[in-house]
Amino acid sequence: MRKTYGKLLPGMRTADLSGKLIVIEGTDGVGRSTQINLLKPWLEEQGHAVLDTGMTRSLLAGEGIRRAKEGNNLGRVTQSLFYATDFVDRLENEIVPALRSGFIVLTDRYIYSLMARAFVRGMDSKWIRSIYSLALEPDATFYLRLSIDQLVPRVVFSRGFDYWESGMDLYPGRDMYDSFCNYQTALLEEFDRLSEEYKFQVIEASADAEGVFERLKAGIFNILESDSRKEFISARDTKTLSISSAAGKPKFAPAPQSTNATEFELVLRSILAHATNGSGKTSLHHK
Amino acid sequence: MEITSGNGFGPFEVFLPVRSTATKSQQHGDDGFPGRLFIVEGIDGSGKSTQLSLLHKWLESKGYGVVFSEWNSSPLVKDTTKFGKKKKMLTAATFSLIHATDFADRTEKSILPLLKAGAVVLCDRYIYTAFARDVARGMDREWVRELYGFAVKPTVAFYFRVPLETAIGRLLDGRNGFKYYEAGMDLELSDDPEESFRLFQGLILKEYEDMIPEFDLTVIDATLPIEVQQAQVRQIAKSHLDKAANVRVQP
Repeated sequence: MRKTYGKLLPGMRTADLSGKLIVIEGTDGVGRSTQINLLKPWLEEQGHAVLDTGMTRSLLAGEGIRRAKEGNNLGRVTQSLFYATDFVDRLENEIVPALRSGFIVLTDRYIYSLMARAFVRGMDSKWIRSIYSLALEPDATFYLRLSIDQLVPRVVFSRGFDYWESGMDLYPGRDMYDSFCNYQTALLEEFDRLSEEYKFQVIEASADAEGVFERLKAGIFNILESDSRKEFISARDTKTLSISSAAGKPKFAPAPQSTNATEFELVLRSILAHATNGSGKTSLHHK
Repeated sequence: MEITSGNGFGPFEVFLPVRSTATKSQQHGDDGFPGRLFIVEGIDGSGKSTQLSLLHKWLESKGYGVVFSEWNSSPLVKDTTKFGKKKKMLTAATFSLIHATDFADRTEKSILPLLKAGAVVLCDRYIYTAFARDVARGMDREWVRELYGFAVKPTVAFYFRVPLETAIGRLLDGRNGFKYYEAGMDLELSDDPEESFRLFQGLILKEYEDMIPEFDLTVIDATLPIEVQQAQVRQIAKSHLDKAANVRVQP
C-alpha cells in the first residue's frame, strides 16, 4: 500500500494507487529532461501509459510563479510556499489520478529539489518537512549526480547562466559565475544529504546521455519487475483471460473478434513482463 | 518521515512554530520588535473591519506610523488566487497553500520589516482566519498551524465574537448572494448558497471558539454598540503603545 510522508490530504485514498511513481532528481543542468524524453517513449513502446510532470507545470500556480520570478522580488518564504502550492496542485490533479488509473508517473524533480532549495535559503527543516508530509512516497528516486566541476561546462555549452539557477537572490556575487558555483555547491551538499536520508538511487551523470539512459532503464526495469499486476497473468488460466473474446459479451473489448485468447494473453504478458527490457527499437535517436 | 536532520535555523530570527514550547517572551511578538502588531478576527459580518478602520484613524491622529495589511492582498499572489477561485479549481489543500503564500509575501515585504522599523501594523484577518477556514475545509489542524510557523505573533489579536444569526442578518441586508468559496460551496454542505454559508460559518465559528484559549485571543463582544467596542479596542491598544519605547511617532 502506498504511503505518504505522514499526513493525508482530505479525502485521499491511497489503497488503489496502483501505478508507479518514479522520480528523476538532480540539480540544474544535469540532464533530467533529456532522460525523461527518452524514458517516456521507451515505456510507451512497451505498452505503459506514462504521465510526465515537473516543477511549475501546474495549471493553478505555474504562471503565477513564472511572473513572480520575473520581478526578482520573490521572498524566500513566499517562494517556498508558491512552489508547494504548485506541487500540491499537480499531486492532486495529475499524479494521484494517474496513479489511480495505473499510469507510470515520471516526475522531473519532486519534493526533494524543493526541500534542497528551501534549505539552502535557510528555511526551517521541520517546517518544510511538515508541509511536504502530504507527499506520496515514490517507488524510486533516481538522483542524477554531477560534481560542480562537471556542471559548469554544461552551462557554458547550453543556455548560459540564469538568475535563479545561479542563486543570485541568495549569493549576489560579483557575477553569475561566482554565484552559480556557490549556490550549486550548497545545493549539491543538500542533495547528497537527502540522498542518504531518502535512499536515492544515485546515477553518475558524467556519462553520456545514452549511458545514463541505460542505467535508468535498468533501474526502472527492476521496479516494474516487482509489479504486483503481473500476477494478473499468472493467477488466471487462459479461459479467464479470454473474457474479451470468447464470452460474446465482452466486458472490456479492445481486442478485435479475430483475436483469440492465446494471442491476447501473449500481448498482455509481454507488456506486463517487459520481455524486451527495452532492447528493441528504442534508442537515443528514437523520435 | 523522520523530522530530524537538516539545518535548524529559520527564515527569520523569529522563526518558530506557532505552538512551540517556547515561553511567551521567547516567541516573536511583543518585545521582539520596536513596532506593534494589532490584528482583527471574526466571522463575516462581525464588524471587525469597521472597528479596525476606526482604530486606524485614531492611531494616525495620535501621530503613529500606521500600516494596514489586508488578508489575500499580495500583488504577487492574488492573481493566482483569483484565477483558482474563478475556475473553482482550489481544493482544501491548495486553497490553504495559496493563502499561506499570499500571507508569506505580505509578511516578508511589509509586516515584518515595518515592525522592525517601529511601525504600528494593522491586519484585517490573520493566521487565525486560515486556521478556522482550512480546518473547516478538512485540512489537518496541526498541519495548518505548522504551515504558518513563520508568522509574527500579534501584540493583540482581537476576536469579534458574534452569534451566527446576528452576523448573517447583517450580511443579508448589505448584499445579494454569496460567492462560491465564500459560501463554502466547495464543502458540498448544501446546494443552496445561503444555507451553505450558514453551515460553513458555523464550522468556522466553532474553530474560532476553540482558538480563544489556544492563542489567547482578546474577545470583544461584537453585539455591543460600535462606539463601546471601539472604546475597548482603543483602551487595549493604548496600553500596549504606552509601554512601547521605540514605536515611531511624528514629532
